Amino acid sequence: MKFDNLPKIESLQRLVRYGLPIPATLLVFDCGKQEKEIDAFLRGKKHVSIRADKMNDSQFCPSIPRCPSAKAKSFCRKISKQGFTVILHEYFPLRKGRIACGHVLTLKEHILFELVDRGAVSRLDREGEVEEIIKFRKSDLAEAEHSGKRTASPAALKKIARLVRNIPCFKILDFTLMESGPYFYQIQDDETASRLS
Amino acid sequence: MAKRKVVLKGIIASPGRAQGRVRIVRSPKDLLQARQEDIIVASFLLPDICLAFRKNSRISGIVTEKGGSTCHVAILAREFNVPYVAGARAATKKLKNNSLVCLDAERGVVYEI
Repeated sequence: MKFDNLPKIESLQRLVRYGLPIPATLLVFDCGKQEKEIDAFLRGKKHVSIRADKMNDSQFCPSIPRCPSAKAKSFCRKISKQGFTVILHEYFPLRKGRIACGHVLTLKEHILFELVDRGAVSRLDREGEVEEIIKFRKSDLAEAEHSGKRTASPAALKKIARLVRNIPCFKILDFTLMESGPYFYQIQDDETASRLS
Repeated sequence: MAKRKVVLKGIIASPGRAQGRVRIVRSPKDLLQARQEDIIVASFLLPDICLAFRKNSRISGIVTEKGGSTCHVAILAREFNVPYVAGARAATKKLKNNSLVCLDAERGVVYEI
């Protein structure tokens, strides 16, 4: 199924195509018809993350990064009525079990990580906080550059570098590294990155 | 050749070189007052400030205290070929408004001229 006009969903689809792990996800196109699926997804979960996507209007979509499961269904209905496609994600706590989160950029010969240790990726996007920058060579995954504090072990980051090594150059991926492993949320093209070495 | 002193070091977010006068930006209003060939110096630039930056083609370079090469501003700067050094700590304190600087975003440094 193609989701060319729903960029966030298309992005998740691309992540899956590249074999990258994403959090457990349910796409809700019709709240009424998918009620049982929603109930099954929410079962046993205290919280979920809710994002939304809309054709030609994906910039300002409603979202609740940490929504109690009991309230999730009504919020889904509400935004679904407004014409949004709902993305339900498994919720990962901002502190408990979280090692780091951030961006990974695939360059021609390197893989560049920009990371924050705890909290949401929005600390990086919206506040410009960067606690660690680490660059691996693509050829042998050796550490080429490092600055800042060590948020995650180089071995854990190297595992992520191995996952993204073969995807095309000049992509920025958002991810969270939990104790259970990495989870990717978004992939974006960034052709301007060809100007970085 | 004028003697150059490195005053700041940071991350190469958008390669290139530029020379100009420092314009410390603390709000979108400050950005709109930028003059030709100003080097914008800020703590961090948010996407709303970027809208002004898109229209303001006179900006010759950017220096921010926070951010990196994957943030929104870095992508925009590369798109518009504006040299940008990110993560230059205390930039808004070390640089003074109207002082003449040279931004070398090929090496991630700012010189005082």
